[in-house]
Order: sequence, then C-alpha cells, then structure tokens
Amino acid sequence: MSYLELAGLQKRYGNAVAVDDVSLSVEQGESVALLGPSGCGKTTTLRMLAGLIEPNRGTMTLDGSEITRLPAHKRNMGYVFQSYALFPHLSVGRNIAFGLEERGASRSEIEKRVQEGLALVRLGGLEQRRPKELSGGQQQRVALARALVIQPSVLLLDESLSNLDAKLRDAMRHEIRSIQRTLGITTLFVTHDQVEALTMCDRIAVMHRGRIAQIGSAEDIYDRPATRFVAEFVGRANVLPLARDAQGRATVWEQLVPVEAAENADLFVRPQRMRIVPVSEPASGDAARLTGRVLRSVFVGDHVEVLVEGAGGQLTVEMPSGSAAPAEGSEVAIVWPRAESRVFVREAS
Amino acid sequence: MTGAGRVLSSFAALVYVMILAPIVVVVMLAFSADNFILFPPSGYSLRWFNQLASNGPLLTALWLSVRIAAVVTLLSLVVGVPAALALAKGQFPGKAALTGFFLAPLLLPTLITGLALLLFFSPLKLTATLPGLVLGHMTVTVPFVIRMMATALANLPDDIEAAAATLGATPWRVVRRVTLPLATPGLIACACLSFLLSFDETVISLFIAGPRASTLPVEMVRYVEGRTDPLIAALSVVLIVATLAVVLVVERLVGVARAVGK
Repeated sequence: MSYLELAGLQKRYGNAVAVDDVSLSVEQGESVALLGPSGCGKTTTLRMLAGLIEPNRGTMTLDGSEITRLPAHKRNMGYVFQSYALFPHLSVGRNIAFGLEERGASRSEIEKRVQEGLALVRLGGLEQRRPKELSGGQQQRVALARALVIQPSVLLLDESLSNLDAKLRDAMRHEIRSIQRTLGITTLFVTHDQVEALTMCDRIAVMHRGRIAQIGSAEDIYDRPATRFVAEFVGRANVLPLARDAQGRATVWEQLVPVEAAENADLFVRPQRMRIVPVSEPASGDAARLTGRVLRSVFVGDHVEVLVEGAGGQLTVEMPSGSAAPAEGSEVAIVWPRAESRVFVREAS
Repeated sequence: MTGAGRVLSSFAALVYVMILAPIVVVVMLAFSADNFILFPPSGYSLRWFNQLASNGPLLTALWLSVRIAAVVTLLSLVVGVPAALALAKGQFPGKAALTGFFLAPLLLPTLITGLALLLFFSPLKLTATLPGLVLGHMTVTVPFVIRMMATALANLPDDIEAAAATLGATPWRVVRRVTLPLATPGLIACACLSFLLSFDETVISLFIAGPRASTLPVEMVRYVEGRTDPLIAALSVVLIVATLAVVLVVERLVGVARAVGK
C-alpha cells in the first residue's frame, strides 16, 4: 500500500457532484499535481485530504491508518492556501510559530524551528513584520514556512503561485521544488497551470468534471494523452477533422493520413512535433504528410509559429527560432512521425 | 461642479440643517439664564448646569441608566457573540429560520415589545426592577449584537480559520486565537452601540419602569411633562458631549484595531 491512498472519494453538493470517484496513490516523498480547469474538483479533493471538507463517500489512508473521519487539526497536513490565509494580527514569526505553539512545543524549540523555517524560505530578519507589510512573494513564503515547520505528513499546495507575477512565479516554482526535494516531503499540488504541473511534479493527475482523466508522468500526459480533454487541456494541439475518401480511408484536407478512419473524430498533433519541408521533398514511408499554403509566420521569441492553410482548415507548426521560416504564400509540406498522431472522437455537445 | 451636483449638495446641506437645527436650539437653551424656556434666551449662564448637579432624581436615574447599560452590554455580548458564531460558522438544520427569528425583534415596534413585556413581567414582579429593565433592553440589544457580529464574522478573510485548523488548532482554539482577535474591532463597536441603545431606550422603559426604578430617558420625559425650565436642555448637552466622546473613542479604537489587524 502506498504512503497516501485516496479511494473512491466523492463529494456532492445537493445534486451537483464536485468530486466523483477519485482514487489516487502517492508514494512517500513523491510530488503529484492535480491539474485541471476551475471547477474540476481539484481544490475540493485537496480540502477533503486536509479534513476541511467531509467526503460523502470513499476513504483516505495515510501511512497505513485511515484518516477519512479525522478532524483537520489532527491530520498534520501542511496546507498553503491560494490566498495564503496568513493571520493578519500576528507577526511573521508568530504566524510561523502558530502550528508549533498549538502542538505545545517548548519556547526554545519554537524559536529554533521558526528561525530554521525563515532561513528555509530566505526571509531571515523579517520575523517582526506584519504580513501586510510584505510583498505577495514574501507572504507566499511565510505561508510555506508556516506549513513546513510543523513537519507535516503531506504538504498541500492550493494554487499557491497563481497570485504572483510571472517572474516571481518562476522563481518560486524552482524554490518550492528544491525545498520539496531537500526535505523529501510528500506533496500534492493543485494547479490549473500546466507549466507548473509539468515542472514541479513527479506525476500529474489531470482532473475533469470531478474525475481523474489521466495519471502519469509529464511525458505520458503530454505525448500520450488518454482522452480528448487531456489532449486539449495540456499543451497546444492541432485539431484536424477526419474525413473518409471513396475507399473508406482516413483523410484530412482531402489528403490521405496514416490513421484508422473513424466517424466524427479529429486528428490531434502537437505543433512542435510537425516539421515544414519543401513540397518537392518526397514523402517518407512512416511519416504523415499534408500540403498547404503558408498564411503567415510569427516570431514569438523562442520559436516561430507558422500558420498553414489547407483545403479544409488551418494548422500551426512551431519551428525553432533561427531556422528559415517559409515565405508567406508559398506551398509547403508538413510532416510528422506517424506515432505523434492521436485520434479522439468528438464529444456530443 | 455640475448643475446636478450643486443641486444635490444644496439639498444635502438643507437636510443636515433640518436635522441639526433642533439640536442647536437645545444647546442654546442649555446656556440660558432664564427661568423658563424662552427662545432665543434673553441672557446666557451656566446656572442650569449647576441646578443639574444638585437634582437628585435625575442623577439617580442617570446612575441607574449607566448601570443598566453596562450590564445589558455585557450580557448581550455574552449571549449574542456565541449565537453569532453559531449562525455564521455552524452548519445545522433550521439555521436560516433561526437567523430570521433573531432579526424579528428588530422589526417589531418597541411599543408592542414594551406592552408585551409589561404583561409578561407584572405577574413575575419584574416591573420597575433592575433585572426587568435589563431583560427589557436586551430584547433590543441581543438581536442587534447577533446581527452585527454574524456579519462581522462572516466577513473575516477567506480560509484564515481553516489555516489555523490545519496547523493543529482545535475548533475552540481557532475561535480564541483567530476568530475573536480578528473580530475585535466589530466587538468594540458592537459593545459601544449596545451601551448607547440601552442608555437611550425610552419606549420599553416607559412601560416597565416605575417610581422605584426609573431610567434617565423616562425621568426626562416625566420632567418635561411637569416643568418648563431649561434644565433638560442642559442635561441634553451633557449627554450629547458624552455620546460624542464615546463615538470618538470607538472610532480611535476600531480605527487602530483595523490598522493593526488588516
């Protein structure tokens, strides 16, 4: 049995099901992201784990003992809230000391651990300040230190970086990741930001409509999406409607593509997996190939986006910047390895 | 300023004048040197303030009103704050109905409350007693405290109590270490307003006060029924100054608490 086990968790609000049959196993020291759009049930799942929301069904087990009905204050979970939820009436030092005081730690022990906590998040010397005198990034670190000094069984991070600006977010991502690795602390990280999930976690659970759509490594999720939702939500994808020719073979833009023909389905290909080649270059055996006309090329800094139009629509190819972008209006061929093709049926809406 | 703005400002000024004018009259009368109410006074003096200092019944009533207001405030908070906590934080059946029930006394005319209390207290021999007056005033202040504190508690920052719980604080410790400290500005404001509501309460007191226990507003009503001298105007000025002082103190305290807390 894994260190942390969620089995068949369900939470209903009246007739609305917020979380439906969520099961998840997390190993000790592992970092798992719950990734999904707002309203997918990821925060509800995290709150059930912390004991802040009671599930209607299912069980939670931590280190072999069941915690499903244990109240929040007995669970020893470090929770970093999206709003940080620092105590505005207490200084930074007292905020961090709060959990230790509630555990009845000695004065010297508290003092020592608070200093360690402050050093860990690089806020030494700020313990006398009030939370509102700190910047957003500093408040975030206080919240992190406060959750870490109690030496929690599991660290729970709820959209903890979404209130920071892009640069700071990037820095905090690495900081949290390295703290998490140094302390070897089991971490669950709720986010709607796929970059956060991809960079900060060992495994990702993509959630959709209260259920886990797919669990796997970053590569699994990105390159081998299990459902149409995962393919659309994580990363960018060209969505090409599939049709059939007279012989019943699959076509896109009235050109043959090497996938199984399917009714009411789309072909998904990542823009980074596609390459642009001259039309004159012959098709190779195991590659898929389409021809079209370049509408425009956009330089985006680290890559060039080339928009190509065909008989039945458009697609985007991402080329490394520095490579020669094809001229606008020119006829080109787009090729990609056969294995990069995914076919998903359209959802009845 | 636009034309419409000027019209609105003038209108607002007019409303203020209409509200404040009677008070100006009272203040001028308080410093009158006349033997009876005459406006404008023919001369000015402090003689009615001196008279006030030696008026036994009014001073007794003032002292009774202060004691009642203090006890009422204390008991209203003791009863109202836990009720507000339960209504703001608890999850239990009938919560909405209970919230409405606590609002009802605020909507009921105090005239009716006063009559009901008189009928209810008479057989219990509670009329014209300190406990009777305290209970009577609490029918006004307790619902008020519950409403005000429930709002204050519901408006605490998101997740702050949840954070305390995840850090190991039991529900009771959460209330003591987080909820109440953060609600302190609201508590102070609530206490002061309860005090003033009780001190000012006239209608219910008229029903249940008696010669043995008469609050200041009741005593003042009786006084103006029988006498026409400016003594009550002098008393009014004292009360206005005292009230302003309380409001200023609250403003300072709550303002400071806000500055520290949020």
